[in-house]
Amino acid sequence: MARLLSFPGTRRQRELALQAVFLSALAALVLGAALTARERLAAQGLTSGFGFLRKATGWEINFALLPTTTADPYWWYLLSGLVNTLFMGAVGLSGAFALGLLVGLMRSGRNPAARLLGTLYVELFRNLPIILQLFFWYAVATALPNPRQSIEIGGALVNARGIYLPGPEIGRGIAALSALAILAGAGLAVGILAARRFRRAAPLRRQSLAALSLAAGFAVAAGLALAFRDPATPWITHPRAEGLRITGGWRIQPEFYALALTIITYGAAYVGEIVRGGLKAVPRGQIEAAAALGLTAWQRFSRVTMPLAFRAMLPMLANQSVWLMKATTLGIAVGFSDFFMVVAGSINHSGQTLELIGILMAGFLAINLTLAALMNRLDRALSLEGSSMRPRR
Amino acid sequence: MDRTAPAIEITGLHKSYGGFQALRGIDLTVARGERVVVCGPSGSGKSTMIRCINQLEEHDSGTIRVLGTVLDGRLASLDEIRREVGMVFQQFNLFPHMTVLENCTLAPMLVRRLPRAEAEATAMRFLEKVRIPEQAQKYPAQLSGGQQQRVAIARALCMEPQIMLFDEPTSALDPEMIAEVLDVMVTLAQEGMTMVCVTHEMGFARKVADRVIFMDRGEIIEAAPPGQFFSAPQNDRTRQFLSQVLGH
Ligand SMILES: Nc1ncnc2c1ncn2[C@@H]1O[C@H](COP(=O)(O)OP(=O)(O)O)[C@@H](O)[C@H]1O
Ligand SMILES: [Mg+2]
Repeated sequence: MARLLSFPGTRRQRELALQAVFLSALAALVLGAALTARERLAAQGLTSGFGFLRKATGWEINFALLPTTTADPYWWYLLSGLVNTLFMGAVGLSGAFALGLLVGLMRSGRNPAARLLGTLYVELFRNLPIILQLFFWYAVATALPNPRQSIEIGGALVNARGIYLPGPEIGRGIAALSALAILAGAGLAVGILAARRFRRAAPLRRQSLAALSLAAGFAVAAGLALAFRDPATPWITHPRAEGLRITGGWRIQPEFYALALTIITYGAAYVGEIVRGGLKAVPRGQIEAAAALGLTAWQRFSRVTMPLAFRAMLPMLANQSVWLMKATTLGIAVGFSDFFMVVAGSINHSGQTLELIGILMAGFLAINLTLAALMNRLDRALSLEGSSMRPRR
Repeated sequence: MDRTAPAIEITGLHKSYGGFQALRGIDLTVARGERVVVCGPSGSGKSTMIRCINQLEEHDSGTIRVLGTVLDGRLASLDEIRREVGMVFQQFNLFPHMTVLENCTLAPMLVRRLPRAEAEATAMRFLEKVRIPEQAQKYPAQLSGGQQQRVAIARALCMEPQIMLFDEPTSALDPEMIAEVLDVMVTLAQEGMTMVCVTHEMGFARKVADRVIFMDRGEIIEAAPPGQFFSAPQNDRTRQFLSQVLGH
């Protein structure tokens, strides 16, 4: 046996050879399967390949940030679904992080009422199946009164068809671009805060630079909205009910906000626990040292506790983000046109199952690998210099 | 803040954890410029006592007056005191996410509101004093224990405190690093800093202390100048303790 496995060369060469053998076997297997499948499909008169992507779809999707009509080809639909998923992810993740931070702080604090509330929250939302929570929010959203009896809350109208917010009249594409600008500004701000090379940026300090980039994102968004708004309408149009029709303002569909609420509230239960664990991981001694130096409670929290806790949380937050991103595919259960639902619809209408599932997998891998890579990058940038936990660059 | 009041006046200090009495009526006055070394067996309440001085622990009863200000639980008096009282811990407790320089400038900038340039100049002055200015841009984990403890001393000094508290500053150090930290502390003592130092380094006590205090079971058992303390201890428990730490 030992003789059989012996291989000339170093251990490293042997490992490389093994890897090569394994990879070629895998490649041969995949290629063989693909060729066989193609042959069988051709024999049944089905076409394979990606030609269908250029064909018009002829069916509708009920939610799209990008302007999407039935005359648009499949590739545009798929892109539109992908953008919807990304948007849902951005809203869901940032909401889950914000609410989770609050829940984690409540559970870690000294106020017994707040702690109890935090604990109840976590136990409730963590222990109910997420799909049940989605159905619950959707049931609530669609059980609201019909448009004729819309509830008015500070200029906004709420009814079973959605939430109608006052806002400027701008096109969907411009709105999507504006949202992108804000996201880019926020992303850049985080990057600046994380990057070491901005550590000693003078005379503008890191914080001001980051604030500047955040502000720039909002400014570009506002500029876009101003430049492309319909000049015939007032700055802000309020939604108005005309019988069953609601005109003006921004509509948030029940499918969208039910899913967003689900991801936010469910995610926050887990993020809250991660935050609590991170806060616990901060050594008491360092907080005491800050106190002994005369830092106020807020200064201790913002300069010592939170920066250290955040580093402890990052790997788990990365995990949780990827998990929540995948949970957006639940949208299909209530009819939110995320990437998954658009792919499912495309399979129904075009019959190109294998190709579309391939696209779906590639799309999700791309999203989640990018997300994980970004979080990893942040983790490295923030990791403690000189400590044994620091990964090598 | 009273310029003529003693540095520290403690009377009738009591502190319990649950049912356990950690401090049972401590009376201690430390004059300005005085150097007091506190020793005693583990668990005798030494840490608890000095942590009450800057209120890392809240006391149950008795009064603590620091530089004339009574520590009555008001935040204002607490802020005032912590600014004037520096502390060095057994475990260094440097901020691991900040460079040595940032560790030293954080509190002066936030608490004393010094501009960055001025805070950095002060920090470099004290880093030179503890003899590690060349490590200013490093992170704590890149330094040896002795170097970290010297940074911790510099960090406390950057607030230009009137009183320095040390809680077993050399107990977590490898033997070869103890001397470099004690040297810095001796220099500080010789410059007239008011110091309360919990340590079992009896050589240090002999060299710089004006008074050595022996604590046991939450009480001060004996207090005397080092000459008398080491050659003619009055109390049995002191004698027993000394024979243990001095090894005869
Ligand atoms: N946070 C705490 N909770 C409960 N007991 C404590 C706490 N801190 C200290 N003690 C107890 O109080 C006593 C005195 O502790 P300490 O002041 O740390 O002693 P020393 O520094 O002299 O070794 C010890 O018996 C210790 O177990
Ligand atoms: Mg102690």
